[in-house]
Amino acid sequence: MPYSAQFKDHLAHPRNVGQLPDATAVADEKNPVCGDRLRLSLIIKDNRIETARYLAYGCPPTLVCGSVLTELIIGKTTVEARKLTRADLLNAIGGLPSRKHHAASLAIETLKSALQDLQNPVKPGQG
Amino acid sequence: MAKRRVYLDNSATTPVDPRVAAAMSRAVVETFGNASSVHGFGQQARAAVDRARREVGGLIGAKQNEIVFTSGGTEANNLAIRGLCEAAASHGRHVITSAIEHPSVAGVCKELEKRGWDVTRLPVYENGIVRVEDVNNALRPDTVLITIMLANNEIGTVQPIREIGGLVREKKNLWLHTDAVQAAGRLPLNVDELGCDLLTMSAHKLYAPKGIGALYVRRGVRLHGQNVGGHQERERRAGTENVPGIVAFGEAAKLAREELEQRSAHDRMLRDKFEAQVRSRIKDVVMNGDREQRLGHLSNISFRFIEGEGLLINLDLEGVAVSTGSACSSGTLEPSPVIRALGVNDELARGSIRFSFGKDNTEDDVDYAVEVLSQAVERLRALSPLTLVT
Repeated sequence: MPYSAQFKDHLAHPRNVGQLPDATAVADEKNPVCGDRLRLSLIIKDNRIETARYLAYGCPPTLVCGSVLTELIIGKTTVEARKLTRADLLNAIGGLPSRKHHAASLAIETLKSALQDLQNPVKPGQG
Repeated sequence: MAKRRVYLDNSATTPVDPRVAAAMSRAVVETFGNASSVHGFGQQARAAVDRARREVGGLIGAKQNEIVFTSGGTEANNLAIRGLCEAAASHGRHVITSAIEHPSVAGVCKELEKRGWDVTRLPVYENGIVRVEDVNNALRPDTVLITIMLANNEIGTVQPIREIGGLVREKKNLWLHTDAVQAAGRLPLNVDELGCDLLTMSAHKLYAPKGIGALYVRRGVRLHGQNVGGHQERERRAGTENVPGIVAFGEAAKLAREELEQRSAHDRMLRDKFEAQVRSRIKDVVMNGDREQRLGHLSNISFRFIEGEGLLINLDLEGVAVSTGSACSSGTLEPSPVIRALGVNDELARGSIRFSFGKDNTEDDVDYAVEVLSQAVERLRALSPLTLVT
């Protein structure tokens, strides 16, 4: 299965890259088997994700999943964001070969972990 | 900067030379006879095959009747290793190979192990080269075959086949095979100087089409045919000859011999210019493999903090075609086994890219490739959490 046009577009022009110095939630997750890594920084105000930034290392699907994830979650309430699934992310990318689905799993896990982090607010300068 | 299409993957395959395509087209239309037929049409095809056999043999200093045409390098490697081992099994069941062989050699060696053979895989060191003393130390009374490539397909390192050939020459019931798919047409080769008994070539690495290769079999070396059911290729490879493919290979071999010096100088000039520009414009790069003992057209570079496939696709989107030996599938990390054999860490192995130049590349191609490469590396590094001080 070849990569979709939107996949290639996100790879060449990743959205929302970077970190947030004033992040209210941060998560950094790693796939222990392949070493792919995703770091997500969020600013959440009144239970709504105002801004999201990401950094990623790994195969192209991991890089693209990070980019697409930030687009999906900005503007969503934390309740809505918690409901996002791997399938939602895969749909937004235009599909991925099944052997690359782990990239979408890592992105969703990182999101869940960041939202979990809300109970443990980030100290300034850690985002 | 205007977008271009730049092909820097000449180690994967080369564009077909128009002169080779012309010779092949003529053969397709005019030389359609079956080379085994006794009539005039058949004899015309036989003569074309014989001419090509002389040219292919001439590229490596072999005699015409020492060349067996196959469907490509993989089949030639299979025929060489299986064929020799089956014929020599009464003398012993031990094979010596290296850790950086092409899958078509490594795979056959694995199969031999399943059938009860012993296989010794020699390491390469940081420079990507096998040591002759390691070969010598690995020799056993029951060793019948050494199969070590002439030049590596990912990092281009040239192995000491001539010295290994010297070891083999002194021993009875020991044969040497070398996979010269990357080297043929790029290095001057002579089978007598190398001291090898079997040597693999593939036409599509030297500006001919895919689907045709050859195995050099030194006169007197016994080989069990793997394709049976016909007398073609002196019983070594049954099946009607691929006359147009063989004619194309013959023409490509002739041109490679005539133009070897100028092609090598051209490729090396482009490669060296490329590496100098990469070094000056991109930080945190590691050039893989020995700096001297390597093919002149190839450069293998690891870019720290990023992964190879993402870089490959970014370059492809800008029209630049390259290769990476690493692959990630089902969440399993598969960094290039060749780069790992150099003893580098997973991150560097995953970030390795092969750039391979050819006779049709220009200096403008190099300038363009370096420009888009430096932009792509910068973009991917901006994305990488590995650049963070943690």
